[in-house]
Amino acid sequence: MLDFKQNYFSLFGLPETFDIDFTTLGSAFRELQAKYHPDRFVDANDKDRLVAIQTTGFINEANETLRSSRLRARYLLKLAGVDFDDEVDTTSDGVFLMHQMEIREALEEVGNAQDPLARIDDLAQEISGEADALKDDFVDQLAAKNLDAAKEAVLKMKFFERLCQQSKQITEQLEDDLF
Amino acid sequence: MALFQISEPGETTSIDAQGKQLAAGIDLGTTNSLVATVRATSIHEGDGDNRRAETLADETGESLLPSVVRYCENGKIEVGKIAKNVQLDDINNTISSAKRLLGRAVGDIKTLGGSLPYNFSDADSNVPKIQTIAGNVTAIEVSAEILKTLKNRAEDSLGGPLKGVVITVPAYFDEAQRQATKDAARLADLNVFRLLNEPTAAAVAYGLDQKNELDERIIAVYDLGGGTFDISILKLNKGVFEVMATGGDSALGGDDFDHAIATWILQESDSDLTHHAMSEARRVKEALTNKDNVNVSLESWQSTLSRAQFDKLVASLVKKTLLACRRALRDAGLSKEQVHDVVMVGGSTRMPVIREQVAVFFDKPPLVDIDPDKVVAIGAALQADVLAGNKPDEEMLLLDVIPLSLGLETYGGLVEKVISRNTTIPIARAQEFTTFKDNQTAMTIHILQGERETVEENRSLAKFALKGIPPMVAGAARIKVTFQVDADGLLNVEAEEETTGIKSNIAVKPSYGLTDTEIEGMIRDSMDNAKADMEARRLREQLVEADRTLEALDSAMKTDADKMLNEDEVTLLLEARSKLHDIKENSQDSVEVKLATKHMEKVAEFYVARRMNDNVKTAMQGQSVSDFADTDN
Repeated sequence: MLDFKQNYFSLFGLPETFDIDFTTLGSAFRELQAKYHPDRFVDANDKDRLVAIQTTGFINEANETLRSSRLRARYLLKLAGVDFDDEVDTTSDGVFLMHQMEIREALEEVGNAQDPLARIDDLAQEISGEADALKDDFVDQLAAKNLDAAKEAVLKMKFFERLCQQSKQITEQLEDDLF
Repeated sequence: MALFQISEPGETTSIDAQGKQLAAGIDLGTTNSLVATVRATSIHEGDGDNRRAETLADETGESLLPSVVRYCENGKIEVGKIAKNVQLDDINNTISSAKRLLGRAVGDIKTLGGSLPYNFSDADSNVPKIQTIAGNVTAIEVSAEILKTLKNRAEDSLGGPLKGVVITVPAYFDEAQRQATKDAARLADLNVFRLLNEPTAAAVAYGLDQKNELDERIIAVYDLGGGTFDISILKLNKGVFEVMATGGDSALGGDDFDHAIATWILQESDSDLTHHAMSEARRVKEALTNKDNVNVSLESWQSTLSRAQFDKLVASLVKKTLLACRRALRDAGLSKEQVHDVVMVGGSTRMPVIREQVAVFFDKPPLVDIDPDKVVAIGAALQADVLAGNKPDEEMLLLDVIPLSLGLETYGGLVEKVISRNTTIPIARAQEFTTFKDNQTAMTIHILQGERETVEENRSLAKFALKGIPPMVAGAARIKVTFQVDADGLLNVEAEEETTGIKSNIAVKPSYGLTDTEIEGMIRDSMDNAKADMEARRLREQLVEADRTLEALDSAMKTDADKMLNEDEVTLLLEARSKLHDIKENSQDSVEVKLATKHMEKVAEFYVARRMNDNVKTAMQGQSVSDFADTDN
């Protein structure tokens, strides 16, 4: 039976770092799935089938956590002893929040631009550039053991995740309207 | 390797002559259903795997089982061709297209109702029941009869009980529809290894999951059946099939192509023999698959239809399917060039014009080597064979993702997603909530499916209460809600107040061994549809009804108002008419529209009666002939 206590990185044989090799993750994920998936237990008793569901559930959860940069960063902090719920916890960096509002307003006004599609492309690029900078910041802060600053970076990633979704929705909407 | 198998006394064995487990794949279709299995075909010299997937035929050599079930007065149940042949003579007791009703609530059915000739029972149940001479039946029971027939066919042919089956479902089937399919299988006493998406099964039949030269494969599955069209865009990444987008038209199929030819025949021959024109149209369509010109005749009239003419007649239908393809690609965020394979499914994809146009659209020849009627069942059989453990060295593992997000209602009618769409399953995920009032002792857990933000815009799956929370100040209770989704995409939800350990749970998935009444009770729970959704639907229905009433009045008055009505009566009718018209244009309330429509009908009653008396025979005859001609195909 799989050890549910082990950390997600060791589950997939990966080093405990932010920058991971997705190819290794992908093949390790598949190997584990091939071994533990409920489809391998169609013949087993109810208990073993339930265990198979829970085991693959654990593997899937681990995979999704490591695939997302924000969840991976949060998980690294958890391993370092900083556990928090980013649904509740949030950043109080006033300058950052102000900047967020500016971007959001810019997104809302895209429709008024002369070439809305070009405008949204620019904004999306700006957003992903800033999100990448946050990731670099997180890696630096974690390496320097500045855990509070690293946590701050993760909280801010959440905002960028929403901005990315929003800009994607707007792009789709614009394309729909043009079609 | 075991030298002999031990079996229970009195039990027939689920093992074939090669020592392989008996398993089957079932394509439970809207129009036709099939069963297929993997087995040794002919005895070859030497070794090597001579096992192949093939569909199983009935005693007349026919693989396709029409998905039609007839309930007879003496309690006998007829399934397939025998039922289909008498369908028109016994329309109320002969159920076809039950798949369209699977997992639907009574409210959903009303929107489909116009095209269904059945009498739905008014019994107090959210699961729609069709009245037949042998009692009320649900779509689950009808589907179970089809499954039983296929099960018997497979067991007769294989010589023993099936160890298990894989049943295919459309990729867009939601939780309730998948659950209903599993319930039908349970009623048919089948062990379901797995539910498999139809487009995934088709891709498996072509072995696309075995091709490893690409890290990521994009597959378009174009499925044109007798009465439905589906397009699915799949992403295959190392054995994980992800459904990226689905689309189509539930009212477009091969029958529409027959109609197009029939219309042409009727015009050219200046005839009104609709019935004969339809059967001639079908013959001509099929003959044109292999010929460039086909002779057409209707009684004494004769002509020829060339393939070029035919292609022109159906051009708009083909275009409609390609538009749906374009939309699905856009939903998936992909361009045509990114598609690696196009798989053809459904008998109607035999038409050369479809193959040509699809090839042009995707700029690559579609895969057509496997019989498009059988390809889904064959893929299901291949998967069933692996799941039965017949290929221990086989690496094939199909991982599915959930097609729609699952979440909970939170304060303000908003939905908090717990598991988002395209998450690989099985998965378990917990989320914590708290009370929002002081001394709140109960909490309703409302489970929803869909991508939208508000409760009204998503599909409600189930609701249950967590009771007995000890009185605390608002925000102090810690309620942990755990969602668990199994490999078939079926959901189990548990809620627990963590400070006290008080638990409550709902199996949106019923466990085995429940009675039918219990299953039904659970389905009813899981069908507690979002109110706004239903109201919107009701409003649409009432508006259609109002339009129909207005049109009927207008056309009647145009014909004979001058003969049958005096001036006061005309004024009265026109006043009622303008009132209904106003409400129809402005109202957002289905009840208001309904009442106004009823009022209009009431006012016009005397006029209707007068016209009826005057003209009863011709009206009725004219009606029934054209109605039957339309549904007869």
